[in-house]
Amino acid sequence: MTLENLRRIDGTKIEIPIDYKQGMRVKGIIYVDETLQKDLEDQAIDQVANVATLPGIVGSSMAMPDVHTGYGFAIGGVAAFDLEDGIVSPGGVGYDINCGVRLLKSNLLREDVLTKMKDLVSILYNEIPSGVGSKGRIRLGPDDEKKILLKGARWAVEQGFGDASDLEKIESGGCIDGADPSLISKKAYERGRAQQGTLGSGNHFLEVQYIDEIYDEKAANSLGFFLGQVTVMIHTGSRGFGHQVCTDFLEVMGKAAGKYKIELSDKELACAPFSSPEAWDYLAAMRAAANYAWANRQCIMHWTREAFFKVFSISPKKLGMELIYDVAHNIAKIEEHEVNGRKMKLIVHRKGATRAFPPGHPELPEIYRPLGQPVLIPGDMGRASYVLLGTEKAMKETFGSTCHGAGRIMSRHQAIKKAKGRAIWREMEDKGIIVRSAGRETLAEEMSEAYKDVSDVVEVVHKAGISKKVARLRPIGVIKG
Amino acid sequence: MEKFRVLDISGDVGLRAFGKSKNEVFINAAIGMYSLITNLTSIKEKETLSVSVKSHSFDGLLVSWLNELIFHFDAYGFIGKKIDIKGFSEKQISATVAGEEFDAGRHEGKLLIKAATYHKLRIEKIDDLWEIDVIFDI
Repeated sequence: MTLENLRRIDGTKIEIPIDYKQGMRVKGIIYVDETLQKDLEDQAIDQVANVATLPGIVGSSMAMPDVHTGYGFAIGGVAAFDLEDGIVSPGGVGYDINCGVRLLKSNLLREDVLTKMKDLVSILYNEIPSGVGSKGRIRLGPDDEKKILLKGARWAVEQGFGDASDLEKIESGGCIDGADPSLISKKAYERGRAQQGTLGSGNHFLEVQYIDEIYDEKAANSLGFFLGQVTVMIHTGSRGFGHQVCTDFLEVMGKAAGKYKIELSDKELACAPFSSPEAWDYLAAMRAAANYAWANRQCIMHWTREAFFKVFSISPKKLGMELIYDVAHNIAKIEEHEVNGRKMKLIVHRKGATRAFPPGHPELPEIYRPLGQPVLIPGDMGRASYVLLGTEKAMKETFGSTCHGAGRIMSRHQAIKKAKGRAIWREMEDKGIIVRSAGRETLAEEMSEAYKDVSDVVEVVHKAGISKKVARLRPIGVIKG
Repeated sequence: MEKFRVLDISGDVGLRAFGKSKNEVFINAAIGMYSLITNLTSIKEKETLSVSVKSHSFDGLLVSWLNELIFHFDAYGFIGKKIDIKGFSEKQISATVAGEEFDAGRHEGKLLIKAATYHKLRIEKIDDLWEIDVIFDI
């Protein structure tokens, strides 16, 4: 069963019919235009269909235009389940719990920083631990770690990393309620001990960027954006702590699925009924990991501000280095949505998908309530990233969700082969982008050609109306793990 | 006999390991995994780690075995080079791993492995040879 079994609904989405696969309870919907449809993997389509077989799924099993094959659930997947007969699945969140993105602005212009980019990138690289086997600057005792799990970014602010005013500009205020440190394994604590305030590796990054295009003047003004403005984007998650929580609970859920007689077409779909103790324990542990991640991005942002101060000798306040927003793109949350005209509480799984709440939504901080939620979409290191806003249409169609990035099209091996004999850092420098990376092969694996063009992805969600474009950001300095 | 090869998976990385026995294929999968993290030629056998893992299935045992070694690397930087299996059944494995602590100054950092997954996991005996396919989240 492949592409020919799919039905195009309109220019931005296709349907996986309910008879595509045995056991599907709802249809599947993938947001892709005809260009991106060419890159759609059969296996990813199959995974969207598999999720549609899970008990209590509501609406449809969805995937965003940056969809690609994941474990169990596809990356780019959105699935909401009824609290009465639905399930919770760690595979619907992913190993990197609360992997996410934050963006801060400055009042610097691109031309103010260009001559200092090499210094800035090198100081950022030295200040922010990254790469395989790197240790953080913060050493945590078991009690500190527990505080992080309960307080999230607030813990970081209490330690002097950033300001209290940052917190309102973080999804869930940088701390999701209901975390329970007693459900965390000794192993997760041990992995998390030296990794708070570290970037990691792979596709995680810190980028210095500038705004090169504004699509919505009014919204850009409200966000304090202007052309040529320097911004910084941070993409990382809960590090080894979150990976261990996921690993631990896949075991628990594997057993639970058998116990509750849930038929699984793939072991990585392991899940338990929402009302079961296993699901509650996972959610409480997942929330702890999500809080670890929010603290992590808060610490990294603080050192970013310090690095700018070192280079420009102007205080972060005077540089206007304010947080714009911080979004999670791997998380499961209880949210209220309207289904067939009825308000319902659902457990929404977003795995490589970003929340995109509309103007007026009660969960948004006051400053963004008139505007809608800022949506941050990172692209590859050579092209662009985007800021969008959440919409009412996302609320109606996608449980208030949109895409999360570009999505790979090349395997790492293919990318390394393609980069052979090339100096990727120099190619980037020729394009005006200074890069530093800890790993020798990271730059080859992460080169632009290895990814879909994020602009194509963003165009689909914009045209579909599930979020709307505000500004495009171009990289000028990149730190990779 | 080839011990392992890297599988080209879009997005992540996979490994195919070979062995004349279950012991050997589990060892080769682990050594293959370590070689994805760093270049093993620069790792010395300076210290020994004892590990013991249980699981409810044979597939689960392999995933837990690799995840145990990932844990010791991620939490303590331990990279193994030589593995001796002390006890092995369908649901339990115990082993000693000789290696050293990763030092970013001396050792090359390759891939940061988050976890071994069940995705397309395969443990099979073909003629006289055991084969494992395992995919890692990175």
